[in-house]
Amino acid sequence: MIIVDDVYKRYQTDHGVGKWVLQGATFTIPPKVNVGLVGRNGAGKSTLLRLIGGTDKPTRGRVERRCRVSWPMGFGGGLQGVLTGRQNTKFVCRIHGHEQDLADLLANIEEFAELGDAFDEPVKTYSSGMKARLQFALSLAFDFDVYISDEVTATGDAAFLKKTTEAFEKLVDRAGLIMVSHAEGTLRKFCTAGIWLHEGKAHWFDRLDDALKAYKKSLTV
Amino acid sequence: MAFADSAAKIQHRNTVRSTVSITCIVWKALFLREAVARLFAGRAAWAWILVEPVVHLGYLYVLFGFILQRLISGVDGGMFITTGVVGFLMVQNTAMRSKEAITANVGLFTYRQVFPVDTVLVRAALEAMLLLASALFLLTGLGLFGSSVLPHDVLSVMVALSALWLSGLGLGLMMSVANELIPEVGKVTDMLFRPLYFLSGIMYPVSAIPPAYRDWLLVNPFVHGIETLRTGFFPQYHAADGVSLSYLLGFALVTLCLGLALHVRFGRRLVAQ
Repeated sequence: MIIVDDVYKRYQTDHGVGKWVLQGATFTIPPKVNVGLVGRNGAGKSTLLRLIGGTDKPTRGRVERRCRVSWPMGFGGGLQGVLTGRQNTKFVCRIHGHEQDLADLLANIEEFAELGDAFDEPVKTYSSGMKARLQFALSLAFDFDVYISDEVTATGDAAFLKKTTEAFEKLVDRAGLIMVSHAEGTLRKFCTAGIWLHEGKAHWFDRLDDALKAYKKSLTV
Repeated sequence: MAFADSAAKIQHRNTVRSTVSITCIVWKALFLREAVARLFAGRAAWAWILVEPVVHLGYLYVLFGFILQRLISGVDGGMFITTGVVGFLMVQNTAMRSKEAITANVGLFTYRQVFPVDTVLVRAALEAMLLLASALFLLTGLGLFGSSVLPHDVLSVMVALSALWLSGLGLGLMMSVANELIPEVGKVTDMLFRPLYFLSGIMYPVSAIPPAYRDWLLVNPFVHGIETLRTGFFPQYHAADGVSLSYLLGFALVTLCLGLALHVRFGRRLVAQ
C-alpha cells in the first residue's frame, strides 16, 4: 500500500523558487493494483513517480510506502561505463542486500539479458539496445511489491521485446505497477486503475477508462 | 521463468533490513565499485597510482634535496620531502576527489538507499587507502636506497595522518555540496588549494621560516599535521614552536560538522534534478 497525503512539490530553479508542480495530491494505492498515470506534459507525472519511489522528498506533505517499491524500471543512469556488465550487476545486487545469493541472481540476470560474452565487457562499449537489455534484466531481478515504470519506450530487438512483454505480464500478476505512458494501448494492457494529474491535483479513478476520459476531455477544452 | 523463487529469495523478501545494515551494505558495494573503477579504468591504471607520487617526489628532491641537506642536519632529505608530500596529499587528494563524488555518481541516487553523503565518505576512504599504499611503496623504495624509513613514534604518525585525512574529508563534504549548489565554488577552491602547496611546509622546515612570518604560516592547519608527522618519523626533528595537533583536529571537527550539516540540509536537493 502506498499512501500519498496532501503532497506539495516545487523545485528550486536557477532564479529562485519554481512554480508548484503538485498542490495537495492525495490518494492511496491499494496493494496489487496496477495504476496508469496520465496527464499532459509537465503535469508532474515524473515528479510524482520520483516522490513515490522515494528518490525525492515532497516540499510539504507525506508519502508512505508500506511495501517494497522499485526504482524506475529500465532506468539508464547508474551504469558505470568503465565497469563491465557483470560488475555493474554485482553492485546493484549488493545494494539490494543480495550478498548471499549473489551468484544465483547474477546467473539469472545474465541469462535474461542474453548479452553473451558482452556481459564481461565494459558497459561503455554497449549499444543502446544492449544497455536496455541489461537495465531491464536488472529491474526484473528483484522482488518488489510495486514496480515503477516511467515511459519505458521499447528498445531492443523484436525477440527481446517479446520477452520483456511476457515478463511484464507475469510481473503484473504478482505485483503492483505504477506506470506513466502516453501510449494508451500499453496502459490499457497492464493497468486497471488510473490517476489523472491536472493542475497540481491528483484525481483517482478506479477504472482506467474514466481517467483517460477525463484526461482527454481536459485536452479538448 | 527466468527469475524463479529460490528459498533464499523468499527468505530475503520476508526480512526487513535495518537502516544501519543497509548503510553498511551500500558502503561496501560503493567501495568495491569505486575501487574497481579507479584501479582498472585504463591500461594498468593501478600502476600510475603508484608511479605518480614517485615522479612528484623525484622532481621535488632534485630541486630542493641539496638545500635541505644543509638546512636540517640529521634528517634525510628524501624522507623529509616524502613525509611532507604524503601529509599534504592526504588532505588534497581526499578533499579534491570527494568533492567530485556527487557529480560522478549522480546516476546512483535513483536507488533510494544511496545517499550523496555515502559516495563522499566512500571516496575519501578509498583515497586514503590508495595514498597509504603508494606511501608504503615509496618508503620501501627509499628504504632500499638506504634511508631509515621506520617512524620512531608510530602513534603520532597515525594520529597526524588521521587528522589530515579527517580535515580532507571535512573539506570534501563541504565542497561536494557547495560544488553542486554553486558550481563556481569548485573553481575557487582549486585556486585556493594551489598556494597551500607552498604554504604547508612540504619542502622546508617551518622552523627555518623567520618568526615574523611563521605565525602566519601556522594559521594553515595542514602545517601542524605535516610537522607532527615529521616529529613522529625523525627523532632528531624539532617542530617549530606553536605547532599543535589539536589545532588541526579542531579544524577537522569544525569542517566535518559543517560538511555533514550541509549534507543533512541539502542532501535531498542534490538528488532532485
